[in-house]
Amino acid sequence: MISPRGKGLRFLFRDPATTLSVIIIWIFLALFVLVPLVQILAASFTVGGRLSFAEIGKILGNRYEIRAAWDSVLLGTLVGLFGTALGFLFAFTAVRANLSRRWSRLLDTAMILPLISPPFTMAITVIFSFGPSGLITHDLFGLKHFNVYGLGSTLFAETITYFPIAYLTLKAILAGIDPNVEDMAFSLGSSRAEVFRRVTVPLSAPGLANAFLLLFAASLADFATPLILAGNTFPVLPTEAFLQITGMQDLKSGAALSFILLIPSFLVFILQRYWVGRKHYVTITGKSGSQTKFKSVSRLVKWILLAICVMMSLFILYFYVLLVYASLVEAFGANEQFTLSHYVVIFTEGLKAITDTLLISGVSMVLGGLYGVVLGYLITTRRFATRKTMEFISMINYSLPGTIVGIAFLIAFNNPPLALTGTAIIIILCNVSRYGAYGTRSTVAILHQIDPSIEEASSSLGASSSLTFRRITIPLILPALFSSLGIVFIRSMTAISATIFLISVDWTLITVRILENMTELQLGVSAAFSVFVVVVVYVVTLGISLFLRLFRQPGSSEISSFLGA
Amino acid sequence: MKTVRGIVVAMLFLVTSLGGLWASGTTEQPATGAAQAVSEGNTLNAYSIWPENWARPMFQEFEKATGIHVNFVRFSSGEALSRVIAEKSNPKVDVLFGGPVETFGAGLKEGVFESYKPPAYSVLDAKYKDPDGYWIAIADDPLCFMSNKKFLQENRLSLPVSWQDLLNPAYKGMIQMADARTSGTAVTRIFSILTIFDRDETKAFDYMKKLRTNVQVYTKSGGGGTIPVGLGQAGAGIFFVVDALNTLQKGYDVAISFPKEGIGQSAEAIALITGAKHPGLAKKLIDWATTADMQNLYAKYEINFVPAYPGVETQKTLADALKGAKIFQIDPVWSGDNRARIVETWVKEVLQ
Repeated sequence: MISPRGKGLRFLFRDPATTLSVIIIWIFLALFVLVPLVQILAASFTVGGRLSFAEIGKILGNRYEIRAAWDSVLLGTLVGLFGTALGFLFAFTAVRANLSRRWSRLLDTAMILPLISPPFTMAITVIFSFGPSGLITHDLFGLKHFNVYGLGSTLFAETITYFPIAYLTLKAILAGIDPNVEDMAFSLGSSRAEVFRRVTVPLSAPGLANAFLLLFAASLADFATPLILAGNTFPVLPTEAFLQITGMQDLKSGAALSFILLIPSFLVFILQRYWVGRKHYVTITGKSGSQTKFKSVSRLVKWILLAICVMMSLFILYFYVLLVYASLVEAFGANEQFTLSHYVVIFTEGLKAITDTLLISGVSMVLGGLYGVVLGYLITTRRFATRKTMEFISMINYSLPGTIVGIAFLIAFNNPPLALTGTAIIIILCNVSRYGAYGTRSTVAILHQIDPSIEEASSSLGASSSLTFRRITIPLILPALFSSLGIVFIRSMTAISATIFLISVDWTLITVRILENMTELQLGVSAAFSVFVVVVVYVVTLGISLFLRLFRQPGSSEISSFLGA
Repeated sequence: MKTVRGIVVAMLFLVTSLGGLWASGTTEQPATGAAQAVSEGNTLNAYSIWPENWARPMFQEFEKATGIHVNFVRFSSGEALSRVIAEKSNPKVDVLFGGPVETFGAGLKEGVFESYKPPAYSVLDAKYKDPDGYWIAIADDPLCFMSNKKFLQENRLSLPVSWQDLLNPAYKGMIQMADARTSGTAVTRIFSILTIFDRDETKAFDYMKKLRTNVQVYTKSGGGGTIPVGLGQAGAGIFFVVDALNTLQKGYDVAISFPKEGIGQSAEAIALITGAKHPGLAKKLIDWATTADMQNLYAKYEINFVPAYPGVETQKTLADALKGAKIFQIDPVWSGDNRARIVETWVKEVLQ
């Protein structure tokens, strides 16, 4: 009863609560994933109400668009690989190097910055630093005619922006590996390298796959960074789709481009499921002894790792110092006199954007966090008929480039019965349906590590099922809940690709104002808005992590920062 | 079975809060239908293609003059038009404000504008209005060359005064201009080049292909390259004079010049949206914006547009910059008919 694995269809009728939850989630998915998706597919596969492959054919016949498809896959793969490697390096250092509290705080702070700033912030500071008269390429190294536009800088900016996602995923996995497992290997005579290769890495494989998928998808969906950095010799699909739709008013070929973009997204998604599904590890067992100190890293390696991480962190901090500086001078590069006028502007003219964004992100956080965790919990621990389909469909809005989700929402919800355009609710629903997937993935990852025997043990010791749920299950998934609350909030505060289509005269967002201000030559105002977003999200992040510390269950692993837990 | 009570509670919470929000969202919607014809309230909605820092003072002055509040949000021309088209069956705004005439020509074909001839219509020059009244101009805006002075000095270049000057290899990879897919600036630029080559497309595209080797990047928005040129990340670019003068006024070390062969300009327009929910208020805004009432304010707020209404004086800095420049009007019928085809050719022949 407590662990109804493998009980098949009958379970559906014997557990009304699960049935009800499944039905509610299906209604949500049908309305806010399938309906918009069908609308957008209809746009790319019909001409005058009849089935047609003309749009897709037009793209397949165009060398430039084919190159854009390859470029997107190449960029996504490279961002996935570099980001996962960098994230693993940081996570391993943070969890395994027995760092003092202060060092791990520093790493957490540097990690959090790229994650909590609007995606194109990095792109802009990269231009300032690496262009033909950039602070680093020109002023520091004296390089002239350095071409900043292309694969290199886009890869750099996206890797720096998204690798903290890999860090958080992997830190949770590494922290979840019982040190006793490694201890056993040591006492059996393994060297540190062997333990790393044969215990630590294989145990983190699900996390590595997860991190790669998340980064690949993030890169495939990012239109803003390539828009600013890729130039014209390195076209990528999300940017091409965005330009087709907004610039050429060609929704059909934009939709068709996105359809092509779907193929690599789903391919990686299916690969990842297959891989993680095969290598299934349980490390949080009911039999865990007391935790011991990690022995996996020697003193020398620890300092080397730490040195690399600190240098990277300082490098990241440099970009943010630049951002703060740009927000405090009259005009960056021309009139560098100190001024607070940009902050005055954002708190007067920009005040509406600020309050709207905070309200929308707050509601999205609660709804999206709960939705993601409940969905993740259901598909991992409950067996019901449409489970796999549900997991698949719940990932669609997340895997699709935001540009397409935004346009699809705009078309699907402009008319009754669901006339939602122009309201805050459409932005919230878009956020929930897209970013809830982070919660689902982290819940799945955590639950994969939990032995069902823990719940069984609780009930065989006589605990009632509600007590088991309250005292065992909830504490175990609480870290996933809080990390997903946090990530949904962060994404909602910093998202632009989908929501840029959903803002209206009544509801606007800070990120859209940042992009607008950049094109309006109000660089200082853009920078001030960005700094504001970073500060707010950082404060909320700290708040949740303090709150979570109060709720720590005795015996559960320590949660130093809710994001890394 | 109580094990999943928590799930149910969570789900119920989800649904009720969603429902609650939806309800509160729908009640905020203004009433539609017959009641509205009688009273439209005193707030109208608009998409502005003009940057916020120019549109805001205009709308504030309008409110001062008429008591009507303008609720607005700013989009680039391509984005604004896509939204108006997507919202066609249930329009969210009453007015499309500002933005190059080409955008309005494209929207006209989609049937998103309603004809309205304000009092100023009869006074305005023919180039400043649609013959059927679907759009009407509020300002004019010429293109120009803008160069970074330090870049010119370091490469011993003089200010570019001919389209041919931009082909100089010294500019290799150092020119920025806008992408024709998103920017009205780029479309005006391409039609300028076509005009210079007497509409000989082979010669014109041949020139653009040669220019391509000197282009560092084609930017999304028309003004996207101004700060890079200001900072010396790029050496020069082709922009609307309104953006170029703004860069100069911000204190960047740039210089503005005009090609001796001539360069085009594009009118900035305003239009009433089909099915607008506040047509009466919208018409009042159009009446006000098309006269000297609004266009006299350009100088006060340092907005470097040439007023469209006859007799309104051009602001001094702008007038000085334009002195001696050879500027021509691009035939709106010709550019409207060929816009889509020319942009597509540009994407295929030049960009890719």
